[in-house]
Order: sequence, then C-alpha cells, then structure tokens
Amino acid sequence: MSDQRIFTRYKANEIRSELQMVDVKKMKSGVTKKKNALRKIIANLTLGNYSEMLLLLPEILKFWKIEDDMEVKRICHEYIRTIGSIKPRSTVESLPFIMNDLRSRNEKVQIMALETLVSIPFSKFTEEAFDFIVHLTSKKSVPEQLMKNAIYSLVQLDDYDHERVASLLNLLYDIVTNQIEKPTIQIAALNALCMIHEVDGKTQPVHISVDIAFNILELLPTLNEWDTATLLEILPITVVPQTHDDAYDMIDMVLPQLQHVNSAVSLSALKIVLYLLNYIEEVNQTIIKRLSNSVIALLEKPAELQFLVLRNVILLLLSREQSLLKLNVPYFFIEYNDPIYIKDTKLECLYLLSNEETLTQILDELEEHATDIDIQMSRKAVRAIGNLAVKLGENSAGKCVDILLHLLEFGVDYVIQEIISVFRNILRKYPKDFKSDVRALAKYAGYAQETESRNAMIWIITQYSDILPDYLKLFETFCTNVLDEAPEVQFSVLTSSIKFFVRYPSVETEKLCIRLLRECTEDANNPDLRSRAFMYWRLLSLAREDGNNVTNEMLKDIVDGELPKIELNTKLDSAILEELELNVGSITSIYLKPTSQIFRMSSMKSLPNSPVLNSNKSLLKVIDDLTSIGVSHSNDRVIGKNHKSIKNNKPVVHTMNDFDKPAETVNHLKGSRKSSISSPSKLARKPSMLMRKLTLKKKF
Amino acid sequence: MSSVLYILNENLEPLISRNIRALPSTDLPIAQFRKLYHPGSPPVIRGSHDTFEYMYQSFSYVYIRRDSLFFVSLVDNTVDIMETLHYLEQFYLLLKNYFTVKMLDKNLILDNPILVMELLDESIDFGFIQVTDAGLIKDYIRVKINVPEIDEKNKQLNLNGGKHHQNEYDDEDDMFGSESDEGRKKIQKQRRKLKHRSKSTTKRELGHLTKKVIQTWKGDKKKRGQLANDDDDHDGEGHDEDEDDTFMNSDIAKTTVMAISWRTKGIHYAKNEFYLDVIEKIEYYMDYESQTVRKNTIHGQIVCKSFLSGMPELHVSINKILNKDKQFLSSCKFHQCVSLESIEDGKEIIFTPPDGDFILCSYELKRHVRDQPIIKLSQFELKPKLNKFKLQIHCTVESHFKPTNITSKLNVQIPLKQLFKKYKIDLSKNIKSKCDEGKVLFNVSDDFLLWEIGAMKGGHGENQLSMVVEFALFNQEEYDRKQEELRTSMNPPPLVKGIKLEEIYQQIHADETDATEETPVPNKREQEKAQLLHINFEIPYSTLSGINIEYLKIEEPQLQYQSFPWVRYKAINDEEYAYAV
Repeated sequence: MSDQRIFTRYKANEIRSELQMVDVKKMKSGVTKKKNALRKIIANLTLGNYSEMLLLLPEILKFWKIEDDMEVKRICHEYIRTIGSIKPRSTVESLPFIMNDLRSRNEKVQIMALETLVSIPFSKFTEEAFDFIVHLTSKKSVPEQLMKNAIYSLVQLDDYDHERVASLLNLLYDIVTNQIEKPTIQIAALNALCMIHEVDGKTQPVHISVDIAFNILELLPTLNEWDTATLLEILPITVVPQTHDDAYDMIDMVLPQLQHVNSAVSLSALKIVLYLLNYIEEVNQTIIKRLSNSVIALLEKPAELQFLVLRNVILLLLSREQSLLKLNVPYFFIEYNDPIYIKDTKLECLYLLSNEETLTQILDELEEHATDIDIQMSRKAVRAIGNLAVKLGENSAGKCVDILLHLLEFGVDYVIQEIISVFRNILRKYPKDFKSDVRALAKYAGYAQETESRNAMIWIITQYSDILPDYLKLFETFCTNVLDEAPEVQFSVLTSSIKFFVRYPSVETEKLCIRLLRECTEDANNPDLRSRAFMYWRLLSLAREDGNNVTNEMLKDIVDGELPKIELNTKLDSAILEELELNVGSITSIYLKPTSQIFRMSSMKSLPNSPVLNSNKSLLKVIDDLTSIGVSHSNDRVIGKNHKSIKNNKPVVHTMNDFDKPAETVNHLKGSRKSSISSPSKLARKPSMLMRKLTLKKKF
Repeated sequence: MSSVLYILNENLEPLISRNIRALPSTDLPIAQFRKLYHPGSPPVIRGSHDTFEYMYQSFSYVYIRRDSLFFVSLVDNTVDIMETLHYLEQFYLLLKNYFTVKMLDKNLILDNPILVMELLDESIDFGFIQVTDAGLIKDYIRVKINVPEIDEKNKQLNLNGGKHHQNEYDDEDDMFGSESDEGRKKIQKQRRKLKHRSKSTTKRELGHLTKKVIQTWKGDKKKRGQLANDDDDHDGEGHDEDEDDTFMNSDIAKTTVMAISWRTKGIHYAKNEFYLDVIEKIEYYMDYESQTVRKNTIHGQIVCKSFLSGMPELHVSINKILNKDKQFLSSCKFHQCVSLESIEDGKEIIFTPPDGDFILCSYELKRHVRDQPIIKLSQFELKPKLNKFKLQIHCTVESHFKPTNITSKLNVQIPLKQLFKKYKIDLSKNIKSKCDEGKVLFNVSDDFLLWEIGAMKGGHGENQLSMVVEFALFNQEEYDRKQEELRTSMNPPPLVKGIKLEEIYQQIHADETDATEETPVPNKREQEKAQLLHINFEIPYSTLSGINIEYLKIEEPQLQYQSFPWVRYKAINDEEYAYAV
C-alpha cells in the first residue's frame, strides 16, 4: 500500500464520505479502509489543514464510541491533541470520551488519555487532569509507568496553573524522599521538581539532603540510561556536600559513568564531577586522566555531538587558570571532512592549547591549512598563526613570523591580505623584533585590497617609514582615490598623511597632506571624517602660528605618540566561568556567555555555599600520590560501601578462577536432544565431536 | 526540554511534527528555522524570541542532519543539549532499525506516519526522554511497517535503462570480458536474491519476535487464543492478518521502569546461544607519492547476539582489560548493560545482556604512523609507452598479518578517472591484463579497475601479489590509415563481436562532460577523492590490535541451562582504507 496519496490536502467532505461508506459495509475489509481515512486526517493535520479537519470532529467522536482498536484510539487522541492545542474550546465534546479512557483498565490507554488531557490548554481539561493526579497519588499501587507520566504531566500543567501545581509540590518532595524502592519514580519526581522551580524563578532552587543523594546514587547501576543522564544532570546544585568526604564519595560513585556509551550520561557525569571538585581540597591525577579520556572518547561521536563537546567542555576547561584536562594536541587537528563549525572550534581549541612545547606541532598543522583550497579555512589558519604569535612570547613569535613570511611566497592574494592584517598585530606587540621583515612585507603592498588589510598596510608603512626608503610612493598608491575607500581606510589615510608631514616636513608631504585635508573637508560626505580633518587642520595651523606654545615636538607627541602594547585576552571572567561550568551541556555554554545575557528573565546559577566550598579555584591541588589523605579517605568509604551493597543485594559472588578448566558443567546436553555420547564431559573434551553435535541445531 | 519535534525533508518542510508542550502552532517556528538555517550552521541555532509573542520562554533549535532528513527539536533554555542531540541520534537509529534500512528517506516516513508518531510518543514523554532502545520498543510497538516496493522497481528501471550510478561492482555487464546477455541474467538473479533476502529478513525478524513471546506462554494454541481475547485491553495494535502479533508479553510493560531496563523477563529459548564477534574496522589513508600516512586507526566493536533464556549473567574477560591497556581503557565505551563498576576492578566485564543484537563495547585505537598497514600497496606505477601507444599500470600489494590467516575477501579498486582525462585511451582495442591471483575487471561507468584477489595469505611483507593492466592509447596515424582503407577498399568493415566498450563509454560519459564544463574548476577534495585507490578486505580470525577474549562464561542461577558461547574475530576495512595515487 502506498501511502503517498494520504499526504495530500483533502476536503472534509471527501474524508467524511469515505468514512461513511465504510459504515455501511461494516465488513472486515472496511477496517483497513477506515483506518486509511483516519490516517488521512492525521496527515492533513500535519500539513496544517486545520480548518477543514475541524469539521470532522463529530465523525471522530462517533468512531471513538464504538471502536476499541488501539490504532484508531491513538488517531482519535492525536486528533484531539492537535485540534485542542489550536482551538481548545471546540474539543469540549470529547471530554467524556477522554475521561472514559482515563478510567480504562489498560495502562496504555490511561496514559494516552492523561497526555491528551494535559495537552489541551483549557480549564475543564486541566481540572480533570489535576483531579486524576491527586487521585493517583492517594492510591497505593499505581503502575509505575502511569505514575511517572502523571508526575511529568505536572510540569506541563505548571504552564497553565502555577498555583495549583505549587500546592502539589509537597507530594513530589514526599516521593523523592520516601519512595526508595522505585528509583524511576523518584527521579521523575526530582526532575519535575527542578523543572517547576526553574521556570518559576522566584522560589529557591530545590535542595535535597546529602543522605538522599547518596541513596539515589546507590541506585545508579540499576537505572535506565536516560534516567541516569537526568539524575546526573540535576544533581549539581540540588545537593550540596557538607564535608570533603561527601564530595569525594560522590565523585567515586559517579566516575564509572564517564565510560557510559550514552554521551548524555558521560557528559552529565563530567558535569557533576566538575561541580563536586569545588568542594574538595585536592584532586588525584587519575581523576584528571579519566576526565580527559572520557572527553576524548566523546570526540569520536557524530559531528553534532562532537561540536558540543568541543565547544562547551573543552573550551571551558581550557580557559580555566589551571587546566583540568590533559589533552594531546593531535586530537584537535582538523580533518578535511569536518563541518565548518567543527573546524572553527578546533582552531580555537588549538589556540587555547598552545604553549612553548606544542607550538611547533600546531604551527605545522596550521601551515598546512593556510594553503588549503578552502578560502575561509586558510584565512582562519593564517589568522590563528598571527594570534599565536601575539599570545605567546617572543621566541614563539619568531617561529610564527617565519611561517607567515614563508606563506607570503605562496602568493595567493587572500592569504597575503590576511598576513598583512595579522602582521600589524604582531608589530603592535613586538615593535622592534620584526623590523627587518617589514621590508619584505611592503613588497606586497599592492595586494592589499580589503579594508582590513589596506588599513593594516597603511599603518605598517607609516610606522616603519624610517626603514622604507620609498614610503611615500607606497603610501601614495593608497591615497589616490580616498573618497571611494571604506571609512576606516579614509581615517587611516588621513592620519598617516598628517604623521608623515609632522615627521618629515617637506614640500611633498605638505602637498599630500593639504590635498587630503582639502578632499576630506570639502568633498567627503562622512561627517566624522570631515570633523576629524578639520581637527587636524586646526591643529596644524595652530602649530604654524607663533605665540602659541604648540611646538612641533608637541604636535609630534599628539599625532604620532607611542602606542600601548596589545594583549590578547583569552581567559573568561571567573564568575562567568563558574556559571558556565554549572551549565555544561546547555545552550549558554555553547555561546560562552552568562545565561542572563542570552535569555531574559532567567536566574543566574551560582555555587551553593557550604562549609567546604573552595573560595579560590586555584587552590585545588593536583596530586600524583595515591596514598595521600583525600584519596585514602574516599577509598575507605568506598570499600565500606561495597560491603554494604554486597550485604544488601546478597549477590552470588562468582569467582572466575576456574576459567582455565574445560567447561564441563556448562555444556550439558539435556532434554529431547539425546547425545550419542553418554557423558557430557567427554563431549566437551573432544571439540570435533562437539562440532558435529552443534551442526544439528536449527536455524533461527 | 524539547517542546516540538520535527522531521523535515531536505527542503526543510515538515514531514512529521510532534507538539509536545501544546504550542499553539508548530508551523511558525519551523518557518523561522528555515530562515535561520544555512548549510554549515552549527547544530544549535538560537531562535529569536520576538517573532512569536505567545512563546513564554526563549528557545533554540537543535538539529541533526542524517541521510536526506533533518531531525529538529525546538528546545527551551533549560535543556541539556547533549541529551537532546543524543536523543535525536538515537531516534534516527531507532527508525532505521525499525524499517531495517540503511538509509532513511522521506517516503518511508510519509508511509508510516502513525508508526513514527508512536515511536516518538514512546521514546519521549512531555519532553523527557524515556527509552530509545530498539530491542525494547519493538516489544511495545508492533505496527506493521509499510515498506514500499516501488523503490526496488525504480531501481530495476534504472538498471535496465543502462545508467548505473550505483557503485555496484557486480553490475557485470559493465565489465569487459563477460557477454552482456549473461551479465543481465546475472544481475536479475542477484536482484531476485536481494528482494528475497530483504523480505525474508523482515519476516524473520517479526517471526523471531513473536516466537519469542509465544514461547513464554506454554499453553497450546487454543488456550492462547482465548487468552488473547480475554486480554483484549492488553492487546497491542490489533493485527487482523497476523493473530500472533496481538500478543504482548505482560512483563514488557513493566520493563522500562525496572532495574534492568534493557531486558524483559520471561524470555525463553530452546537452545541457549550467545555470539560474540570482535570486529575491527581499519582506517588507513596514505598519500602514496609522498609516502605520508595521514590516518592509521582501528575502530573496534564487540558485537553480540544473545539468544539466552531468563536473566543470565555473563562474564567476559578481555586481555586488554586484564593488562590494563591504557589506550584501550580510555577509548572504550560500554553498552548500558555492562556494570561499569566491574571494569573498575580490572578483571572482567559482568553484564546481563539485552535480547538479540547489541554492541557490547566500541573502542578506538590509534596506530603509530610507522606501523605497517594490514594490506600494503607496495608498488603502484603508471608506465606510459608513448611510442608504442601503450599504457601500463603496475600494482603490487603485500600482506602484513599473521601468516596463519587468509583473507576471505580482497578487492583492490584502482581509479582511472584522471588517467582517462590525461591520456587518450582507445577502448576499441582490447585491454590486456595479467595478475598473480584473482581477476581484473573494468568498470566503465565509474571509471575504475577492480582487481578481485579473494584469498591472500598473511605474512610480514614476504607475500606479494602483483598485476599489470595494459591500455591502448589512441593512435592518430593508425586511425587515419584505417579510415582511409575503409573508404578505398571494397571489403566490408570488420565485424566487431561482443560489446563495443568505446561506445558504452561514450554513452555513459556524454552527460558528464557537459556537467564538467559548467563547473570548470573541480574541487581539490573531489579531485583527490577520484584519485583514491581503495582496498576492501576481510580477514577472519584476526584482530589487528591483538584484542583477545580470554573467557566467556554464562550463568543463569535459576534455570541452570546449558549454553553455547561463540566467539569470533574479524578484521575488515573501514570506509576509508585508501591510498591517494
């Protein structure tokens, strides 16, 4: 059956007639036809054909009454939900049917009905939903799935009626603290609590005591993967360790989750460990290693996940004063099939990772990309090399500059332009060191076409005019057509001409200067440019006039003063960093901006206070020694805990010291299949016989 | 928390949308997404709040692009993006698993809207992710899958039309040396096989499911029927055709909230077997000219198939874990069933497996650049003999694995695209080839030579196989002479038997040349891609990393049954095992 036809817009009448035709026949073949017609309704709703489909409500209700097929029911519910979220009032007629389903003995139908009730923003439905949930909580044996759904539906109901939900919050607290035997419910309740609080914004964030947290964490191995993720996700901030030991123990319990295959779990585990690290004195080297390993393993995931990991974990961790990750540079080398957003982020990571040791490696990689066919990429690589030169010390800058000069010979115009732009920054940082290279660069003055590189070139020529014999000629190429330039270039041309004049007062420079001043004051449309030109003009004429104490020296000082050295700021503000670390995996950390800047009306997260909170992050010690105090503490506790759990579960402790013996007891052949060999041990010992036996097996 | 989930087609039009948080409209947000999205934008896009007055919160779009579809989730700012992204990924896998296809396309989604809706419903409640394990959901949702056969028909049409763009080497009528009729027959046979296979797998899958569930009820058939009727409320999505499908293991419903959420109770098999396959995919990339290795990685997976009754506990010991191999331990990711604490102890992996197929763990090992590749291309040379109007390609491979092992498959695919561009090759003359082992095939449509070696012995460089292919180059002088002869002589032109390769080549590449003219500067990457010499191989009983399963023990304390564990190893090539030549 091809369902292509279903996905076309239908008129209500067409479908109605189709449905009625089926009514008449009441045959078995009619069932599929009827379902087909109903499917068409759903398809049309997806297409957004609401007004037509709204007319079919009576038909739908009729079917609902007589039909108890699951699929039909599902379609009916789907219909009411979609229509209901757009036109809540029109669906009131369906309320009795939904209530009927809600009272059904089938758990699935009940859940469906509850979801429908909740998804319609209309007071009558909401009332019923509340009543049902209250009724559920009073009952003793409620199916877990249903209970879980009821709890989560509260979050949705919170949008409609906050007061009423707030009155039910105590119930949720009760579940969190008491229902130890049902971990899923417990976590659902805790999650719902957090959600409701977060949306509210006024009330204090949820807190649970350390004991409860330990109880829940004990359950970790038995939880479903998504529940684990949720739990680890909400634990930071909700639980505040009161002693160092608490924090150590929690870290130990969470650590294995770092190796979970579900990346949501491992990232959440990372997050909680990061959070807990604020509450301990010193951290073991092995923990750092494991954190790094789990991050690296996450980098093997599909591009989108990789992006997230790169973006908000690594960047964050690397911008800490004292890095918590030990990562090798080659992990961040760019591969040609990476999407552009990954390439960008990797470049940033490389930049953050760079230091004296890794520089050569990184530069090799960047140089390769600088000659890449992809224009954007090669520009970014050149830019990164320049930034590295500014970030690191003079020795490293030398290496970077060598590469840049080498790339100049590559001769592609956009690379040259980019090099010119970054060279300005390098020269600002190290005015003296690379003087000798300026002449080589000046040869490429003709390449500078874009605003930024033109600007940079003009600046370089002006600043190093003392070593460039033909500076004026070079400069004149830039000021032939000043009025057509971009505003930034106009400004720098103007300023440079003044500088030349002040530095080397001669007929040529004066002529040039006057010409530019005239053009800028008389022909330019940009008021800023005009006023700046006038300002210079007045300044110059002031200096000319006698009687003022404006000397040529002063003029030089004003126009051609010494420039401050530039610095590149890579570190984030510590308060922001702290908040971002609490938000690992959320949207804020992708943009590396505090929540309040991205979202209005959202409260800021901060580390809750506790007697053991580290006031200063740099105090956290990294230690190698396994016998140190903190670890031995935690080890004791963990061993103790293991004993406890063993006692609790009464597990069969299997020792595997017999693995080298032949598997006699394992391979019993029993039941109908009689073996030609009487004793099983023989069978196992003779592999050839075993093979024959096994070939008899049926195929699945 | 996800508010709306969409599946979009390649034009960003919604195929399916699921309004989770009862937003008044699902169309408006997606219209904005269409504006904001541009190829290459990161997987998280911030929506601008101002366009929708009714939105109570700020929101973002999280999306992944798979096959030709977009999976988009509209999320508010409280969400854990990692969770959402991972969920979208898992949902995509879930769909693929359900449809048992390798690639999803929009028609599949459009054909099964109810199924997709149900899957969405089941996997996410009020924006909170519940389950994404295909094995489990399959027990829940058993809507009949509507897989169109049109696709296959289309394919058939395409094939008969003579335009084969699929990179099937087995389109034998393209290869020289086999007659076209025979080739077509072969293809048809294969196609039939393919059809058959796809049908039988889906059937088997369904059958497997039902069998398993039925076996939990040990009554006779009639009894079962009655039970089904009694349990009418329980019955899933009633299947009129297949009564067996209406059964649902009542234990299943509880599974998701139990401690071991990945396995239902009451599974029973007559024969208890457990298959454990260690599969290592080897990725290798080398620039042959400069002899620089760009990639040399092992992507390993331990794939298991479990047909065990009850709630067994398995102990697996891996030498890498015993030896505390650091690289292995750090890169290894385990399935959720593995108790991660057991790995901490460093002895063995303890787990209760889910039923059916699953991946126990996956790992990634980087090899040293100087480590020899498992199959090495030791010689590759073009020898143009222009005075004789001949062009020879020499190629030699050598093996670098245990001498006791033999490859079960080994294909070397030599690209010819550049060659055809560079030289004028006369296809009207026979192509000569000689090789130590296997056979050499020529694919006209995709421009490559395929050297099928098949079995090759292992060794450490001493085992070499080589081949030579000789193309004739176009000889203007000779051509002119022949033309002249044709015109002057009375003899009819010589009859050419078999297929005329040059004509086929012309036909296939006619439209291509047009296309290339439009884009005169082909991307460097694509150029490089066209110049890759791929090697496909499969070596059973061997792993490159030396991973070894020390023992595998199955214990089921209640049932105490006898069980059969099977362990296999295999090394195969990853998608990229290539030399740039």
